Amino acid sequence: MDEYRIGIDIGGTFTDFAVVGGGQVHVEKVLTTPDRPEVAVLDGLTRLNRALPNLLGAAEDVVHATTLVTNVVLEGKGAKTALITTRGFRDILEIGREVRYTVFDMFIRYPKPLVPRNLRFEVNERILSDGTIVEPLDETGLRAIAASLRDQKIEAVAICFLHAYRNPENEARAVEILREELPNVEISASHEVNPEPKEYERTSTTVVDAYVKRVVSHYLERLAKALRQRDYRNNLFIMLSNGGTATVSTAKRFPVQMLESGPAAGVEAASYFAMLANLGPILAFDMGGTTAKLCIVEDGKAARTRSFEVARVHRFIAGSGYPVTIPVYDLLEIGAGGGSIARINDLGLIEVGPASAGSVPGPACYGLGGELPTVTDADLVLGHLNADYFLGGDMKLDRMAAEAAIAAKLGTPTGLSPLAAASGIYQLVNETMAAAARIYVTEKGKAAGRLTLVSSGGAGPVHAVDLARKLGIRKVVVPPYSGVMSSLGLLTAPLAFERSRSIHQLLETVDVEQLEATFAELEADAAALLPPGATKICERSLDLRYSGQDYALEVQTSGGANLKERWKAAFLAAYEAQYGTVDDENPIELAAIRTKVRQAVVLPAISGAKAARDAAPKGRRDMYVANLGEVRLVPVYERAALRTGQKIEGPAVIEERESTTVVGDGDSVTVDSFGCLIVAVAPTVAATASAGEVEVAEA
Amino acid sequence: MQLDPVTIQVLWQRLVSIVDEAATGLIRTAYTPSVKEYYDFCCAVFDRNGNMLAHSTVTTAGFLGIVPEVMRNFVKFHPPETLEPGDAIITNDPWLASGHLIDISIASPIFHRGQIVGYTLCIVHHLDMGGRMSTLESKNIYEEGLKIPVLKLYERGKLNKAIFEFMKANIRVPDKVLGDVRAQFVANHVCMRQLINLLEEYQLEGLEDLAHEIIERSDASLRAKIRKLPEGTYHNEVTLPPIPQCPDRVRIKVAVTIKNGGVLIDYAGTSGEVGAAINCVLNMTRSYSAYPIKLALDPTVPNNDGAMRPITVVAPVGSVVNCQPPAATWGRTMISHLFPEIIFGALEDVMPELVLGANGGCPANEIYLHGRRRRDGRSFLAIQQHSGGFGASHRFDGYSTLCFPNNTRNIPIEVTENEAPVRFLRKALVSDSGGPGFNRGGLGQVVEFSILDGEQGPEDFAEGSVRLSNRGETGDFPLQGRCGGGNGRGGGLWLNDKPIDHGIYRRFKPNDRITFQLGGGGGFGVAFKRDAGRVRDDVIAGLVSIEGAARDYGVVIDPRTYEVNHAATEALRARGCPAERRIA
Repeated sequence: MDEYRIGIDIGGTFTDFAVVGGGQVHVEKVLTTPDRPEVAVLDGLTRLNRALPNLLGAAEDVVHATTLVTNVVLEGKGAKTALITTRGFRDILEIGREVRYTVFDMFIRYPKPLVPRNLRFEVNERILSDGTIVEPLDETGLRAIAASLRDQKIEAVAICFLHAYRNPENEARAVEILREELPNVEISASHEVNPEPKEYERTSTTVVDAYVKRVVSHYLERLAKALRQRDYRNNLFIMLSNGGTATVSTAKRFPVQMLESGPAAGVEAASYFAMLANLGPILAFDMGGTTAKLCIVEDGKAARTRSFEVARVHRFIAGSGYPVTIPVYDLLEIGAGGGSIARINDLGLIEVGPASAGSVPGPACYGLGGELPTVTDADLVLGHLNADYFLGGDMKLDRMAAEAAIAAKLGTPTGLSPLAAASGIYQLVNETMAAAARIYVTEKGKAAGRLTLVSSGGAGPVHAVDLARKLGIRKVVVPPYSGVMSSLGLLTAPLAFERSRSIHQLLETVDVEQLEATFAELEADAAALLPPGATKICERSLDLRYSGQDYALEVQTSGGANLKERWKAAFLAAYEAQYGTVDDENPIELAAIRTKVRQAVVLPAISGAKAARDAAPKGRRDMYVANLGEVRLVPVYERAALRTGQKIEGPAVIEERESTTVVGDGDSVTVDSFGCLIVAVAPTVAATASAGEVEVAEA
Repeated sequence: MQLDPVTIQVLWQRLVSIVDEAATGLIRTAYTPSVKEYYDFCCAVFDRNGNMLAHSTVTTAGFLGIVPEVMRNFVKFHPPETLEPGDAIITNDPWLASGHLIDISIASPIFHRGQIVGYTLCIVHHLDMGGRMSTLESKNIYEEGLKIPVLKLYERGKLNKAIFEFMKANIRVPDKVLGDVRAQFVANHVCMRQLINLLEEYQLEGLEDLAHEIIERSDASLRAKIRKLPEGTYHNEVTLPPIPQCPDRVRIKVAVTIKNGGVLIDYAGTSGEVGAAINCVLNMTRSYSAYPIKLALDPTVPNNDGAMRPITVVAPVGSVVNCQPPAATWGRTMISHLFPEIIFGALEDVMPELVLGANGGCPANEIYLHGRRRRDGRSFLAIQQHSGGFGASHRFDGYSTLCFPNNTRNIPIEVTENEAPVRFLRKALVSDSGGPGFNRGGLGQVVEFSILDGEQGPEDFAEGSVRLSNRGETGDFPLQGRCGGGNGRGGGLWLNDKPIDHGIYRRFKPNDRITFQLGGGGGFGVAFKRDAGRVRDDVIAGLVSIEGAARDYGVVIDPRTYEVNHAATEALRARGCPAERRIA
């Protein structure tokens, strides 16, 4: 009997499934059921069961990602939540950081605090920054607050005391008392949810955690129970925002950590194919209907950050949402997708996004009433998309409508032909993504030219090669199953648990043996969560910076001699590489240590293309070739028909059900044994491209 | 070369992303909170003629009108033929650069194929520049610290160590300040590298054609919006609250003329320089005078020379808004932060839907604490900033505690307590402080902290200053509401519960308790017409008291049920709004 592994990713529109077993990958897609998400899950499993009898009974594990937490916050469907703070500081949640996230908007908006002022309470207690308790917790006062919370039928309580990250004693005692007084109320305490300084961010994180806890834990319990009823006997694992995994009981304790589970799984999938194809550092690129997402992954480790925001007023503007400090993959989200709308701005120039036509009314070519030109309309006019083969032909596109929208809204005001305007949209959306990517790559201290672009999402492969060219990237990989990348990523991610500790000590004064003991302690704690027989791998790193700076650079470490010297050298090299200079005025500080304990990677077997001989083009069509700046008659291939090892010279287009890969002049594509398309991006094209742009414009 | 609309947009977008990338490099390598938390800096890129083409989107409004002038001055002192690759020019001269010594400007020429194709500039508000610290008491610039003439800090990539040594010898925290100077150099380096990549990628010889498009289009865009306003000259005149220990009162007089798609802002009739550190150089006056125009009329166009061109700012030489050496300038924001409000006041009847009520914390509050702590014998220097309530507009209530017109984040209490021997006692919204109105002004806040005991030995000390607006509901220059809205309330500074002057540097003893309050924002529209349900929501949240609801809004709320008593409300409202009575 085959042993299956099942990945389930609930997104905003679709719930995706990937099942790996017996050398096969099976995928399924059903519509999400927002009110009872488990309904869609069970529906999809039932469908899969037809081809895979006894799927759940034979399943080794189920790994799950969901947008539920984000939705609960966005839609205001969380618990009636109260906040308890140190006396004098209940307004911190509303005062925030007092800054405008954009200097040029006199009508700036912020989301309302999740806890209204009348449900924010203060209690006498005080701890100083060094952890000294100068005022013990006023237990009587707290019990009086608890009584009031009971009267007001509060469902969840967040507790955030000043400096609780340094000394949790008062908060821990408050939790005990509230559990006694309010046994049926969910409680989140800041020293557990987010033990780091900066009171506003910590309070906000703790409040979001409390706010979503009940909805999330009820959902997870319902799901686990439903799976058990269908003979599933093993653990239900939840993916966290940093690609780590958690059992249901851990996820229920800190639901805020699940916020970005779906995107994290997408990154895991890209990183898996990077490992399979031995790619070195990659830039994972996903482009869907509304957004594009980018993430750097190096040696299987994705870029990480601890600052995230949920429920932004402006989706792509940092500072317009609730800050949440959790370990999360550092994804760059850009307002650029197939539905992004192109318009003429006040300067008489074409602007693309971030506004999106979404799926309703959608791009003009959908014929659903959309009249504004979008990226998808441009892709269709340029011949990148096939009007008769969108979603495998399930959805017919209207090329005339696309052209009419582009002509009316852009062509007339600028004097550009529809083709020139469409190529403008294509260039601009790619430039928007490239501009954001350059800043992102700088922040990560990397050179774009060294990365491989791994592309997914419906619109990703249409734009990936041109985006890569703009970034100086020489290789693009389009993996198979790109329509269900996240659910596949749930299975390719090794079970991993991460632990960290703040150190804040000058590097020269650090006791290396002591540090070793701390690492060992953290690793033992995390390893206990892995399956007993698993081979465990520990990945250690240090956060180093110059004393006085806020941002640290992460330096890997694996033990050995002369550690401090090597750490220092690694830090200086990384700093110099990133910033072009080093500082000789300030000493180096060890901010924190981190370790990730994971299962040794067991790659699920994914077989590649099966064709015995090279596929011939299934047809030819006129396509705008961006790096030539002109339209050419190019061959069209069916991806499923390609042979492993087959080579295709650009310009060409390769179609599949969920996407289309567009290849430029001088580029060449090879199909690898896992079914990935490997595109060698032609060099020195910048020059020809820019000459071409002028030609198009003048055409 | 004729550029098409697509190429222009692609290249323009790229220039903005280049300066933002430079800003990223700066933030990530800087030490001072004014960079990391306040974003009190800017990075910009220029063409070879010194025209500003792009300005980092992360910045403060105070640099808007300054940056182009600084570059022009640098080029005057160091013409292109005197520059070589790897050079970097430095100054903190208030008149040539950004208006006070604590801002350091560093510019670098960008060479491509042996020619200068442009310049990059980074200005940063530093932690310390020697001299008296953070006080309005200085009578002239010589008291205020070290002035760095326009010099080459780097010559062909080689650091001029003499400049660093002079700085080291004159400032309190040289390691941090020099670290930040290096961070500025990082920013310029990033900008230079990426600009050259851009030129190579698009095979451009220079930036002139692009510069022309950027500047002309930005200029035309703002002019088109100005033309929608009725032409005419509109006036406002205010007398500022007394400046502590300064006998002179400051009167600001402005005439805003809208004509031919241009705005002329003329400060004729404004008081002369004063013997206190609040004088503005013209660059600074230009920045905060242009800001409200751009904010209201053309906020989405990226900053560049063209976006400023339709706006002309003039002021009499030697006036407090166009001061001359050796005037003291450290606290120039005491005046410059007020310009947006004064200009909104002049234009209130011309464009009522595009003005804001006063910001309750304006001019910005600023706190310096400095000393040595016993715990580790290290000296500390902690700066903080807190904000008052945002002004209401015709569309919305003002947010509580939101910064304007500058834009500085507060420093977390936990960060300040970790740096300095203080304990905060509260940071809380002040009920009823928001100016009443159809849309209510945001609430101000009260902040209280004490100097920790046990941290101070005989030779240890903590000293510092708290500066705030000194404005309230009444007085010569209250926190004004707009279009019938009430004034914001609050404001004050106390030491151990006794009122004291702000802006004065003083030494604190253990257990000294400093309390200050920042006012609420001005309201917009008539308060008695505010929906009673909205007033009730404010009462439930404790933003407005039950008494305040009746007094300011004519809404009677039952203290037991928190329901609106509609009959009593109607009766009370029939008697008319205090603001209406005042206008009548």
